[in-house]
Amino acid sequence: MSITTFAAIDVGSYEVGMKIFELSKKYRLREIDTIRYRLELGKDVYESGRFSSGMLDELCTVMRNYKDIMDGYRVDAYQAWGTSPFREAKNAQIAIGRVEQNTGIRISVLSNSEQRFLSYKSIAAMEADFQKMIKKSTAIVDVGGGSMQVSLFDKDALVTTQNIRLGNLRIRERLQSLEKETIHYEQLVEEFIHNELLTFQKLYLGDREVKHVIFLGDFFTDTIFHGESQEKTITREEFNRLYQTVISRSPDELAMHMGVPAEYASLIVPTAVIYKNFVDIFQTEALWVPGTLLADGIAYDYGEKHGFIHSKHNFENDIVVAAENIASRYLASRRHTQAVAKIALKIFDSMKKVHGLGERERLLLRIAALLHECGKYISMCDISDNSFHIIMSTEIIGLSHAERQVIASVVRYNTRDFGYYEEISRDIGADRESYLIIAKLTAIHRVANALDRSHYQKIRDLKPFLKDGQLVLTLDSERDYGLEKGLLKDKADFFEEIFGIRIHLRRKKQV
Amino acid sequence: MEDKNFRKPEYYVNRELSWLLFNRRVLSEARDKTIPLFERLKFLSITSSNLDEFFMVRVASLKDQVHAQYTKTDIAGLTPKEQLKRISEDTHELVQLQYSTYNRSVYPALKKKAGLSLITQHEDLTKAQKKYVDEYFEEDIYPVVTPMAMDSSRPFPLIRNKSLNIGALISKKDRKKGKEILEFATVQVPSVLPRLIHLPADKDQEQAVILLEEVIERNIGKLFLSYDVVCAHPYRVMRNADLSIDEDEAEDLLKEIQKQLKKRQWGEVIRLEVEDKIDKRLLKVLKTEFNSKDEDIFYIQGPLDLTFLMKLYGMEGFDEFKTPAHQPAPVQEFIDKDNVFKVIQQKDVFLHHPYMSFDPVVEFVRQAAKDPDVLAIKQTLYRVSGNSPIIAALAKAAENGKQVSVLVELKARFDEENNIVWAKMLEKAGCHVIYGLVGLKTHSKITLVVRREEAGIRRYVHLGTGNYNDSTARLYTDCGLFTCDARFGEDATAVFNMLSGYSEPKFWHKLIMAPLWMKRRFLGMIEIEKKHAENGNKAYIVAKINSLCDPDIMEALYEASAAGVQIHLLVRGICCLRVGIQGVSENIHVRSIVGDFLEHSRIFYFYNNGAEDLFMGSADWMTRNLDRRVEIVFPVEDDAIKKEILHILDIEFQDNVKAHILQADGQYEKQDKRGKVLVNSQMIFSQEAKERAKALPGHQVTSRVFVPAEPVEDDA
Repeated sequence: MSITTFAAIDVGSYEVGMKIFELSKKYRLREIDTIRYRLELGKDVYESGRFSSGMLDELCTVMRNYKDIMDGYRVDAYQAWGTSPFREAKNAQIAIGRVEQNTGIRISVLSNSEQRFLSYKSIAAMEADFQKMIKKSTAIVDVGGGSMQVSLFDKDALVTTQNIRLGNLRIRERLQSLEKETIHYEQLVEEFIHNELLTFQKLYLGDREVKHVIFLGDFFTDTIFHGESQEKTITREEFNRLYQTVISRSPDELAMHMGVPAEYASLIVPTAVIYKNFVDIFQTEALWVPGTLLADGIAYDYGEKHGFIHSKHNFENDIVVAAENIASRYLASRRHTQAVAKIALKIFDSMKKVHGLGERERLLLRIAALLHECGKYISMCDISDNSFHIIMSTEIIGLSHAERQVIASVVRYNTRDFGYYEEISRDIGADRESYLIIAKLTAIHRVANALDRSHYQKIRDLKPFLKDGQLVLTLDSERDYGLEKGLLKDKADFFEEIFGIRIHLRRKKQV
Repeated sequence: MEDKNFRKPEYYVNRELSWLLFNRRVLSEARDKTIPLFERLKFLSITSSNLDEFFMVRVASLKDQVHAQYTKTDIAGLTPKEQLKRISEDTHELVQLQYSTYNRSVYPALKKKAGLSLITQHEDLTKAQKKYVDEYFEEDIYPVVTPMAMDSSRPFPLIRNKSLNIGALISKKDRKKGKEILEFATVQVPSVLPRLIHLPADKDQEQAVILLEEVIERNIGKLFLSYDVVCAHPYRVMRNADLSIDEDEAEDLLKEIQKQLKKRQWGEVIRLEVEDKIDKRLLKVLKTEFNSKDEDIFYIQGPLDLTFLMKLYGMEGFDEFKTPAHQPAPVQEFIDKDNVFKVIQQKDVFLHHPYMSFDPVVEFVRQAAKDPDVLAIKQTLYRVSGNSPIIAALAKAAENGKQVSVLVELKARFDEENNIVWAKMLEKAGCHVIYGLVGLKTHSKITLVVRREEAGIRRYVHLGTGNYNDSTARLYTDCGLFTCDARFGEDATAVFNMLSGYSEPKFWHKLIMAPLWMKRRFLGMIEIEKKHAENGNKAYIVAKINSLCDPDIMEALYEASAAGVQIHLLVRGICCLRVGIQGVSENIHVRSIVGDFLEHSRIFYFYNNGAEDLFMGSADWMTRNLDRRVEIVFPVEDDAIKKEILHILDIEFQDNVKAHILQADGQYEKQDKRGKVLVNSQMIFSQEAKERAKALPGHQVTSRVFVPAEPVEDDA
């Protein structure tokens, strides 16, 4: 049996954690070791915007030790991800360089949407419970040190997800000076977060009903709830009772009572208050605390990508549905975007040998097609630039920042003149590789979009066929597609420029 | 029901006084005429070394408290001053008893029965012997002794802790008649030379030995040539040696301990032992210089420092006066098996030392060091033997590229010097050495071997009640468990992560760790037993421990007893509980076994409505174990092993030979054996272990008869 030993490192706001896993087809994911080291990187960053040198030294020491531990287990592969503090620190790249120089471990920065997606995958690792849970309308509240993420699910798919920049460590740091002036710290926290939560409620929740809430977060998240039992689901009444016991205690008492280290106890109250607020906003019936960590998600994702795990849940679908929801928020024509997506993917699939792109780029193309119209919401002029900006400021769960840039650029150059390498790398800092992806996807997307120029979905179906340097598109349509054909010309020129392949249209013979 | 106060001082015994009672139980072994003579020497020697350690650590600490004007009372309501007073009284009595045992019983028997002449006064030497010792003095002793005198220009010299010395009063020769001026001089009896000197056999062919200090005393004139020696007497001092390290300030624990070791020689003198017929003028000098109070002076009727009896025990011959050397039996499960891991994969293995051999534990580490599939070995080491095979195996493992992490407890009392040496050695070999934890002593005994197998990582764990010390494993009764249960493995990994400075795990599957979780668990389990009793169910607690003095645990036991829980305790040493108090402890039974082997295992049993929860581990029910040490207690879940351990407890409660039973008046008494079958638990276990090793099917004694092979048949 082939077993891959994998290490997932998570460098977060107040903890550097590493989990060692064994991945195999038979046992899927098996956790071997969990190591956590307390290091408040976020404290530095949220205050001064940078990592202090002392913190970095300590981080290097920890990472060196982790390297030894990995060597001890003869780890085959590892991933080290930096989260919120690395996204925010001005000297993040310097920090990463120093760690790599000192330890050989390269920390990659995880964008928020990727991080949340991985956390979300960590619950998916608990197959059965997860499937059951998300059948009903469910929310996931994921509280970290720097921010929290709220995601809503309906019927097995992700509906919306929002990041709110309030995490337990950030709240604690911000309120530190006020703490001694009140005896009701929890009220202070509540007031502090109230406005943000209200905005969320108004804009994104509406009258949506949420039956279940899944709480994700740190190891002490489940400490708050479990008490003595290992039961993972609790009722709202139980939650309220536990909440009272939490807020009625000082951090020291909490530490004693819950059996957590004293340093963590100061983070428990902010966390509990956030949970309490969401429980009240959602009027939820039951809460589920799976107790998984980001590292679980990292390993699950790795296992999925390397063929050890085949999930029953379609994660790509979550991303697509999330994109569709964004599109409908900006009143994009669903039929048109779906039609463009369909055509684009057909062309993409027929050209695999030519463009050499993979599944991930296919997904980006699909999402670009779904979102290419959303700029209309702002103004009929400058649709492409408006779309670009909307996409750049809307998080799409599961996609990295770089991937979102690709999508936004494809959308932008849908109608605008294509910018060449200098321009694109200047505008969005794309490297050569992503530049080429943008170019290829733009070429395909332009053709697909042109084929539904009238928004009438005249083309029921099409069959692409690649032969002798030509791409023949056989269209199944009974209507006159003169407009489409006419406007296709310059798109086809661009397509040829990129791929060296000429597009020909042909009507499918009617039987 | 009224809330009863179980914390009344009269319900408890001071721990130091309880310890002195323990030393008395050891002494009673030396007084027991049914025990072979040389074994009795050994027990007598142990009472002496025990007492030394007791003074250096416990009495010293009380003295410190008195100096600091600390007046808080202990659990039995005594202030440090009162405790010292009681200790002094009891110790004087104990020493009296020690020397009457020596003088009246052991010493005469040596000559009469064993035909060994131990000369404790050089005047008793024969002429030939005198000649021999004088030559010995000149050739071997003289070059290594340093006589030191005190006068106005030379201050009183440093007298080393625990060293034996001869003090003398000397006066200048050829001084004109008139006033005689006495000067003080002292010479240390060299510790590099053996305390016992064998004398050439006399005509009766009787073996004879003399004590080193007697030879020096006889020749002391040769050390002060231009003086007359007026009198010379041996004396010995005990200094305050409690190693209290301020860890907050100690940047580097290792350096700090090395520094403290040097300082230990300089501590305050807390006990002065002198010969009972010492010259008064000499005594006065010592008393003044050491600043000793009357109650700290012990007048000894015999040789000082009886630990030399251990050397006497070690003399060759005299086999009929010794118990034959104990041979641990091989462990059945491992006989004829060359791979320990395969054996452990089959099932958990229980070890009961010293009845069963400690070899499998050594072999476990040794094989792990060589096994190509082993990735890592992690172990906690507290006290190890000199030249330990385990240390050697760990070093080997590191050289073989295994990841080896060793937590070396530097604070293990009196072993620091030893520990530092081999800790350095391990580090050099490439092991990751953790030098203990700041503020906590790591007392847990756990070994983890991580092995990569066909089906992935498998972890093998050894958990024990005793140290990883192959020498003491022949003398101490300890239990151990080998398992590859994944839950134990995960917990063990978490233990070492914690010991390496990483955060604690989310939860523990099986192990109970001190200082964070253990006390609460024990109190919880006692509480549950109490509830069962209150509900009218059978409720029963058994614990086998070395010491019992944690106030919270004792209070909980009193409460449980008052509620009707039957509590049976095997406490070898200190026990601050009282039994038979109306409404408090009539359901508590305490016994102490002092035998050939030092009772050392810790076993805990809770009836728990028939669930019969059984645990073993490294922790005693002492505050220091529960609150200031890293300890591990683990459950025993395998039914066969559980049965075995229950059998051990059962036999120990039947013991009527070596068991002393705590009486309501606080004294320990042996049972009346008349008309009863004698049960000596240690002997029974020894017997059982041997039978078990033999009973193994398939274990054949290799035949000594050569069997010629048959010729190979030709192909047809």
